[in-house]
Amino acid sequence: MKTGRQSFTANRPVYVRSSYTIVGPKEGEGRFGEEFDTVLKDDLWGEKSYEKAESKMHREAIRGAVCLAGMTLEDVDLMLAGDLLNELSASGFAMRYFKVPFLGLYNACSTFSEAVLLGAALIDGGAAKTVTCSTSSHFASAERQYRYPLELGNQRTPTSQWTVTGAGCTVLGAERPTAEGDRESRERFSEKMKAMREECLEAAKAEDAEKKTRTEAGDNTLFSVKGGAFDALKRRFIRAWRPECLADPVCDAAYERKFVAKITGGTFGKVTDFGIDDESNMGGAMAPAAADTFIAHLMDTGRAPEDYDAIFTGDLGRFGKEAFAHLLAKEGIKTDARYDDCGAAYYKAEQETFQGGSGAGCVNTVFNAHIIKRIERGELRRVLVLATGALLNKDTPLQKETIPGVSHAFTVECEEL
Amino acid sequence: MTDKAEYRLYVKKNSPRSPMVRSLFAAFVVGGLICCVGEGIRDGISALFPSFSEEEVGAWTTVVMIFLGSFFTAIGVYDRLGRFAGGGSIVPITGFANSVVSPALEYNREGVFFGICAKMFVIAGPIIVFGVVSGIVVGIVACLV
Repeated sequence: MKTGRQSFTANRPVYVRSSYTIVGPKEGEGRFGEEFDTVLKDDLWGEKSYEKAESKMHREAIRGAVCLAGMTLEDVDLMLAGDLLNELSASGFAMRYFKVPFLGLYNACSTFSEAVLLGAALIDGGAAKTVTCSTSSHFASAERQYRYPLELGNQRTPTSQWTVTGAGCTVLGAERPTAEGDRESRERFSEKMKAMREECLEAAKAEDAEKKTRTEAGDNTLFSVKGGAFDALKRRFIRAWRPECLADPVCDAAYERKFVAKITGGTFGKVTDFGIDDESNMGGAMAPAAADTFIAHLMDTGRAPEDYDAIFTGDLGRFGKEAFAHLLAKEGIKTDARYDDCGAAYYKAEQETFQGGSGAGCVNTVFNAHIIKRIERGELRRVLVLATGALLNKDTPLQKETIPGVSHAFTVECEEL
Repeated sequence: MTDKAEYRLYVKKNSPRSPMVRSLFAAFVVGGLICCVGEGIRDGISALFPSFSEEEVGAWTTVVMIFLGSFFTAIGVYDRLGRFAGGGSIVPITGFANSVVSPALEYNREGVFFGICAKMFVIAGPIIVFGVVSGIVVGIVACLV
């Protein structure tokens, strides 16, 4: 139901059926390292390029979340996915393995909240029963696309951020999850993942009449590695000497949730451009968008910041966090200890990331690993997540354009399982 | 909402800035050390091959320094040095080697032709263009004078 100018409120509960995250090694050493489902030891994950690795992380995160929800791909009505690569290649290529309708989304780093908002609205309106919302980003593929080659010996500015290597997926559903279902799907996780992989493989083979698809039966890399004796030997070598490169996604079988999170509404953001033109200072460029959406959200819903147990912005970084508070203070809105920024909190100080994390995987992995677990433990009752995105590409700053920002907010509440 | 110009001023004033003294010091020390290595190689070459003329020794020193820059880029050391030293490791000829080799490594996955060959000069390209153009200008001036 539309609420005010930009917001909507869900009329019926949209439950978070499950969530799953996969992150790279640096993220595993960060502040939320203990909470991610799978931490990779190697950010290529046995693939030949970082783009392929990102796509693999994306699809394994979707599979992990669908398995944890106790579902099969048949039960999923729609997949909403996005990433930072040109033409959404990481999500698009991941979707080859799923015979499920797919909508590709792009709103830079705020793609995740866009997906969650749309998913919740579609379920609320009855257009779908179960939807997956996933995004991914990879440090190495983002560096290459937006900045410089990895090995170039340049210095990062103190306002720069570190793109998070990570993928996460949330399964939203109209049906309420049960404690028994949770337990069962966690116990049988690896078995179900394997079965789903086989299923994807069968589907790929059936479609591939010309036998061009290079597959290895039951192998998790499916299309990625070429056939032939040399590559087979190389894979055997990798498996023997560096087995962590080809590690399977895992899950914590002992985890139990006491509460179930549900998406109750949100605010669609407007593009806001305050004329910041420094592409290495994204936090400063995106803070006005976050403030704009936050103010619109409060106006539309008639709530105050005190009505929330926690407010998270996406990836404004340490300076952007200050700028956000500064902008709100001018409007007479106080942000206190209940406000934090996912990007600024992501890495430890000694990891030398300057402003903190950013990227489509940043707010996603923090939400799916950290925020959702706090909600499910009952620590937080009502949370607002404002993911933020800077809508530029590599060429626009060179053409003397400023950086527009956008931010979408969604509200998560909980009820007892 | 806040006035845009006022916000821009706020961002300009409050954004964290590069630590100038530390950056300059690191660039000075590392840049100086790279030049010392170059001098050492020069002395070594002229000691090993006494028959070389001054120009030949210079050319061989350049070749060795470019090789070292490329080698340390390929084994993943030069970018760490660059993160610490900034301009100190960009300005010497080893930095030029780094700016050619790093895209070559990066785009190696798109194949030899459209990857390595096409993208190799994405960073060093402007330097080469300016080198050639200034060469032409100087050549014309020298011809006229």
